Amino acid sequence: MKTAPRPLRYSARTAVLAALMSFGGTALADQTPSEQQQIEALRRQLEAVQSQLKDLANQNQRLLEREQALERQMAQSPTSPAPNSVPAGTAPAANPAAVVSNPVPAASNPVPPASTAPSTNPVPGGTLALTNAAAPFANGLKLWGYGEIYYTRPTRDEKEAQADLARAVFGIGYTFDSRTEFNSEFEVEHAVTSATDPGEFEVEQFYIDRELNQYVGLRAGLFLMPFGFLNEHHEPTNFYGVQRNFVETLIIPSTWREGGLNLHGDTGFGLGWNAGLTTGFDLSKWNFAPEFPLYTTALGLEDSDSAPLQTTHQELALANAQHLSQYIALSYYGIPGLTIGGAISTGDAVKVAAPPNVPIPGNERVTLWEGHVRWTPSKWDLSALYAKGSISNVTIANESNPGSPNPIPSQFYGYYVQSAYTLWDHNEYRLVPFARWEHYNMGSSYEGTTGPVVPTGLVPISANPGDYGYWPINHDRVWTVGANFYTTPHVVFKADYQWFEENSDFTRFDLGLGVAF
Amino acid sequence: MHRVGWFNERRSALAALSVLVLASCGGGSSDETGTAPPPVTQTTASAVGKAIFFDTSLSASGKQACGTCHVPTRAYTGDPTTDHGLPVPLGGPNMDQTGFRNAPSLVYASFTPPFSLTNGPTGGFFRDGRASSLATQAEQPFVTPFEMANQDAAEVVSRLLKSTATLQAFTAVYGEAVLDDPPAALEDMGLALAAYETEDPSFHPFSSKYDYWLQGQAQLTAQEQSGLDLFNNPVKGNCTACHPSQPQGYDSHALFTDFTYDNIGIPRNWQIPANTQDSVSPIDSAPLSTVITPVDVPNDAEYRYYDMGLCGPFKSATDDPDARVDLSQTTGMCGMFKVPTLRNIAITAPYFHNGNFQNLHQVLEWYVTRDINNNTANNPNPVAAGPGGNPYMAIGTFYLSATGTPDLDEYNDLPADYDANVNVGEVPYTPPTFGGGQAPTLTAQEIDDIVAFLCTLTDGFDPTSPSAYNVPAQCAPIASTSTTQGISR
Repeated sequence: MKTAPRPLRYSARTAVLAALMSFGGTALADQTPSEQQQIEALRRQLEAVQSQLKDLANQNQRLLEREQALERQMAQSPTSPAPNSVPAGTAPAANPAAVVSNPVPAASNPVPPASTAPSTNPVPGGTLALTNAAAPFANGLKLWGYGEIYYTRPTRDEKEAQADLARAVFGIGYTFDSRTEFNSEFEVEHAVTSATDPGEFEVEQFYIDRELNQYVGLRAGLFLMPFGFLNEHHEPTNFYGVQRNFVETLIIPSTWREGGLNLHGDTGFGLGWNAGLTTGFDLSKWNFAPEFPLYTTALGLEDSDSAPLQTTHQELALANAQHLSQYIALSYYGIPGLTIGGAISTGDAVKVAAPPNVPIPGNERVTLWEGHVRWTPSKWDLSALYAKGSISNVTIANESNPGSPNPIPSQFYGYYVQSAYTLWDHNEYRLVPFARWEHYNMGSSYEGTTGPVVPTGLVPISANPGDYGYWPINHDRVWTVGANFYTTPHVVFKADYQWFEENSDFTRFDLGLGVAF
Repeated sequence: MHRVGWFNERRSALAALSVLVLASCGGGSSDETGTAPPPVTQTTASAVGKAIFFDTSLSASGKQACGTCHVPTRAYTGDPTTDHGLPVPLGGPNMDQTGFRNAPSLVYASFTPPFSLTNGPTGGFFRDGRASSLATQAEQPFVTPFEMANQDAAEVVSRLLKSTATLQAFTAVYGEAVLDDPPAALEDMGLALAAYETEDPSFHPFSSKYDYWLQGQAQLTAQEQSGLDLFNNPVKGNCTACHPSQPQGYDSHALFTDFTYDNIGIPRNWQIPANTQDSVSPIDSAPLSTVITPVDVPNDAEYRYYDMGLCGPFKSATDDPDARVDLSQTTGMCGMFKVPTLRNIAITAPYFHNGNFQNLHQVLEWYVTRDINNNTANNPNPVAAGPGGNPYMAIGTFYLSATGTPDLDEYNDLPADYDANVNVGEVPYTPPTFGGGQAPTLTAQEIDDIVAFLCTLTDGFDPTSPSAYNVPAQCAPIASTSTTQGISR
């Protein structure tokens, strides 16, 4: 445990000494020199004891504050299956050789912006770093990680069954002092990353967080946007179902991160706030003319980056920063077991590339807002979320691409309700069945076109001769039922079944393994 | 108003600057003698290129220049009426030798990227990408036996020395000394031609009706609009897959080509003398002096000569410093040709590298029925024409043997060994592996609509006088059937 004692404030120490001096000075005036020496020694000992008591009281206060912060985090932690599913500071590092233990998995957002209390929680989630006198540098070092493996089997098209190490993520952080820390996450998607493999290697977070005062912190760099439940807390132990829900994938483009800076804080009565200035979206990346469907399975839908904001977010990869976006997020978690929050982001986008030789007057503005609520009475875990986005000034671009199967929508939205129940809880084992109903629409309205020209019937879905299928439509209603089974708070086995009303061929059975530490 | 790119402007400025520098260097002694400097004809590389482009005296026949086969009024393609109706140009010392490929349009050619295999074959000059740049490409016809037919660069320079006006323009920019080094002089001629094709507005006017429509200054007819819809629709025309109606990064405009290569199994054109057995000139029956040795044709090939694009028979010039890798042994690429721009396509018939099709309607009919009723090897159940069946041409219309009978066994302009190279996976081909005999992706009306749209890609539209639009003849009947209601963007 890192317990660097904070010295007594100068004023307090002076007052104690002054009081002792004044009392002793008059009472001991007639003592012999040897007695005076003994008394002096006792007085020094008393001072030392008092100083230690002060230090301990100070430490105690900090621990209390940290505990409160952790409780607040757990109370508002998103689809976190239950308080004890967040393995907050319970398990030491599995590897005894590790110089640092950081058992808190929510490293993707070490300090949830909405509940940020950086002054009391300088290390992600209240990390307890091992003391290692031989390596003082390591005292501030933090390591964490998470990952997940899927098996997905479309029930109507079993040849599309896939298994995937969807992501392996490693986090590295460093606490410079009680007010300044660095956090970063590096992700490998789809197991193998090379020019000829499907994987990606990406930096998911990379920022500095600095406590400015007791109420306000400053974060700068590449950070996750505080939208919805999942975006910041996307570790597999933190959500129900093998894969992330569609609303927080296709409408809120999890994992959505931007470069920029924000101010965040906690009012002390359970209201967290976070406001920032960030990079925005790039509509010049829009593909009006996909020759084949951008996805033909549910898994493909999540991985294809075809949703409006998935395909246009920039991820700070040589991001065009002509225009900046602004956002604000609020979250209230002052009532135990209840979290209510919302966020909005808006900003001009990099202009669409069409039509080619005619500047489109004005800018396209991308706006996204969401609201969410979660209630965890007893063994229940109930949540709901609504998100809606809009893109302005796309009429000319769409008019210039008639017949497109993929025009730019002017509005898109999605929502879900979810219920989970801890059915069995024994030691660290926990079984949590759940059900979720969600509706997403990646193009609820269009300007300059009546909408995507979606081919009907069996059509070629790849350049492979004879590869025929149905061109999916960009909205659906999805039922998901399944269960999370935790063997420890860090390890979860999952299973679920998903029904798709519109793209019925997407209906699938999934198995999953998730780990977070 | 079209926009000349920054690069082009910069090149013009550099060329002009170089002229001024040369002029000042050459004129120094005049000042010293106190006499007035001789008037210096200030020109640019582009102007030199233009002079060379149309100078027929630089050819062995004295009758052929670049502009002979790349006629400005035809979007710089050939003119079949001057080629005795052949799909390939005539050339050689006596203008009786025939070429091997339909002359491509040079309009928008300057946007072509260098050849690359990184993402599949892309870019490069000539229909097979064997020239690394516009300049190295432009040098080649001067010394090609069946074109301008000079023996070598020295002969080209000797003719340049006799062509007063062109020589004066040339030396004003490149000096006289280079004439003593003919290969270098020919390189400069290539650079001048490249400058002309890059800088002269006639090579990138972007003045089609479609361009004005994008700007809101023209209206597409309902039929043209429908044609554009079908052009973009991935399961109808799917034309945009290779001829993108969106800019691809080569320019801010859509160029209607992605500069990739494809093998689409075009029928053999027996009007090309090289494709016939006797290989004599159709002009005077003289033996064709240039017969491409069929070294790369499989032993069991049906015919002696095949044009297989990327893998031969033509090879890069030995003096092309950045020539693409030799692909003659990369048999999987045999039959691949560069995707051409569709801008001005309505005025550049005949179509494809072998000029096998005379009009766009035929092209589209062939596209959508290629594997339905023209190739029994791929489709054992061809669809008979008539009610309920193939709405287009009769079986075997497009694939013919040398005697004119239907040739349905394979893609007959490729050795049968390479039939598998043909693209059968994309719309508008209708892969017979899916049931066979299915309906074409386009109806006859939809083909008309797409042709109507393609006509709007013809440069020269004047928004102040739409009726004066010089639509080619093959567009006229379609225009007459289109609705009068215009559609603004």
